[in-house]
Amino acid sequence: MLRASVLERFAIAVASTLLALLLGSGVVAAAGYDPVVFLSSLFYGAFGSVSNVAFTLRQSTMLILAGVAVAIAFRSGVFNIGVQGQFVVGGFATALTVLFLAPMLPSGTAAGFALVVFGTVAAIVAGGAYAALPGLMKAYADANEVITTIMLNFIATGVVFFFLDSYLRPQGAAAPNTEPFPAYVGFPSLVFDSGSFSVLGLAVALLTVVVVAVVMARTRLGYDLVTSGYQEPAAAYSGVDPKRTVVTTMTFSGMVAGLTGAIFTIMILGYYSDPATFPTFGFDAIAVSLLAANNPLGVVPAGILFGGLDAGGQYIGFTLDVPAELVDGVVGLVVLFVATPELFRMAARRTGLGGRYRESGEGQTGGETGADGEER
Amino acid sequence: MSVGDFSTRTRRTVGAGTVVLALLVAVAYALDLPGAELVTVGAVERTLRSATPIALAAIGGLYAEKSGVFNIGLEGFMIFGALVAAASAWLVSGSGTITQGHLWFGIVSAVVVCALLTTIFAVLTIRYEADQIVAGLAVWFIALGFGPFTATVVWGGVSSPVLPNVNNVTVPVLAEIPVLGRLLFDVSPLVLLTVLVTAAAWVVLYRTKFGYWVQAAGENPQALDTAGVDVKRVRYATVILSGALSGLAGATLSIGFGSGFTGTGVTMVDGRGWIAIVAYLFGNYNPVGAFGASLLFGATDMLQIQFQTIGISLPGSLVGLFPYVAVLVVLALVGYTRVPAAVGEPYESEE
Repeated sequence: MLRASVLERFAIAVASTLLALLLGSGVVAAAGYDPVVFLSSLFYGAFGSVSNVAFTLRQSTMLILAGVAVAIAFRSGVFNIGVQGQFVVGGFATALTVLFLAPMLPSGTAAGFALVVFGTVAAIVAGGAYAALPGLMKAYADANEVITTIMLNFIATGVVFFFLDSYLRPQGAAAPNTEPFPAYVGFPSLVFDSGSFSVLGLAVALLTVVVVAVVMARTRLGYDLVTSGYQEPAAAYSGVDPKRTVVTTMTFSGMVAGLTGAIFTIMILGYYSDPATFPTFGFDAIAVSLLAANNPLGVVPAGILFGGLDAGGQYIGFTLDVPAELVDGVVGLVVLFVATPELFRMAARRTGLGGRYRESGEGQTGGETGADGEER
Repeated sequence: MSVGDFSTRTRRTVGAGTVVLALLVAVAYALDLPGAELVTVGAVERTLRSATPIALAAIGGLYAEKSGVFNIGLEGFMIFGALVAAASAWLVSGSGTITQGHLWFGIVSAVVVCALLTTIFAVLTIRYEADQIVAGLAVWFIALGFGPFTATVVWGGVSSPVLPNVNNVTVPVLAEIPVLGRLLFDVSPLVLLTVLVTAAAWVVLYRTKFGYWVQAAGENPQALDTAGVDVKRVRYATVILSGALSGLAGATLSIGFGSGFTGTGVTMVDGRGWIAIVAYLFGNYNPVGAFGASLLFGATDMLQIQFQTIGISLPGSLVGLFPYVAVLVVLALVGYTRVPAAVGEPYESEE
């Protein structure tokens, strides 16, 4: 995938999505629902009304941010499956900071702004630190990051729930929720009249994309990260310390994941709650990043696409009593197909649609898959 | 693997095992737990049950990885196994009373369906050279989505109603023997099956021609190809085996020991497929070692119940995290020292 041309990547992304939707509709039909109603409701739920568009953009904001977090790591040849955990820990740090500092500051817009900034910084630090852990384990103990980050997801959810349940739940409250944030902490709702989406949140996400893209493409750090991903021996030869790069990559990725948690907590929730009930943005973001061929800029359209799928899926869950989990399955299918570019190359060759293609096996096998097998 | 490597590896494994055990003892000591009351016959029995799904998936996974395909989708196939077992037992009973026969039908269906699903995974990774890590993750996501979806179609909710589970095999008279009787002669057939699978997997891997092919497919596929054995076929066989065993593992969770399928959150499989991968790494790709490691994770998994029975109120949400922490400790201490040389690489024969 990394070695394909831009056009080919785009074609594979589109083909993967269409094939996944087709298979998803097949499952819907097999389960006894009408696939045409399913697809049209999916579309209506995503883009059919102003409030649906706001909801799509809200989900897209989260998926773009989390997708960038995933892309930073994947691009550098490290699998950060722990974005969900870092997202949970980051949001928790935001909630702690805001709730702890709020009584010390006067109320008002200025204090609200300060609290948002402090909360966001706390989330970035916490997310980065939590992601550094598997980075250190990979660099210095050879522990496979796919498994450590997944374990750390479980641990983050459990530990955060424990603190929430035992110490932060207000007296007599039935649900494990914190106190709500003061009303002046949050993003003003501009353009869309929505309590849980602000164009400012989307702006933060897009700004993050630009910053990450510039860092990856224009700075020494980004150069080191990306060369380590493509060609570890070459990077080591040119003086990049591979162990340190792994830790930096994970930390950088976790910082963006933490920021995702901050935006989620401030913009969408306005309090903090049992993380086991949170949407799995960190996992869906893996699909977003893969569809974007791990390119930070490509994450934007991919994030909007999956945001739309997500919003459409939830709409379907409300209206058709087809469970919303179905869309998660479709997202999984997209990941599966994106992982299998050969399938589409072969289809293209067979049907004569593909134009010029390399012979199979050349150059394809080494890169991504090989690197993982060798370095362990 | 050289003798030096092997002894280092063994030292690290033993070291890591000791550290985990020491941690458990330290926790027990710090909380002033009565040790003797913790290690009871019931605890050993629960440990075996808890280790069963992990061990089954681990043995399948190690065969696949030995032959050169890292099946990281074990967790997903376990979810499908748990679902299919519960759903087919339910459907074949006509939504009425579920008998032991229906349960066994469910277990066999889970194995067959998961074997078929893994065949697709095998075709994508072996024939179409899909990135094994990404495709394996995709399997997990697909299962997390379609699992609860299918449950809703069958039961109208993401979880099944309470279902019965497989009866123990009780040998009359012998079951009356104290301690041993309860552990050996009044036991779930699935625990016995797992012991059998472990033994068989060991014999096949180290004592048969097929086992030799599996190892060669992962270490030196060119040599195996030269010797006239189809590398891809060997890999198909092991990957499909890993799916079948994951299906069985999932079935033991939902209707083997559990009381139906739970589709909320990360489902009832709850990370056991990932733990299985660590179990076979920790067991150094040896089925018997993988079984031993599964027992270790099973024991940490069961601590919560042990704590409750002796009246220690550690918050369940924290004790429930012990297996995941144990995985991290094991990985940090053992790491990935020795994997088959050709894992992750699609093999193209020079035809």
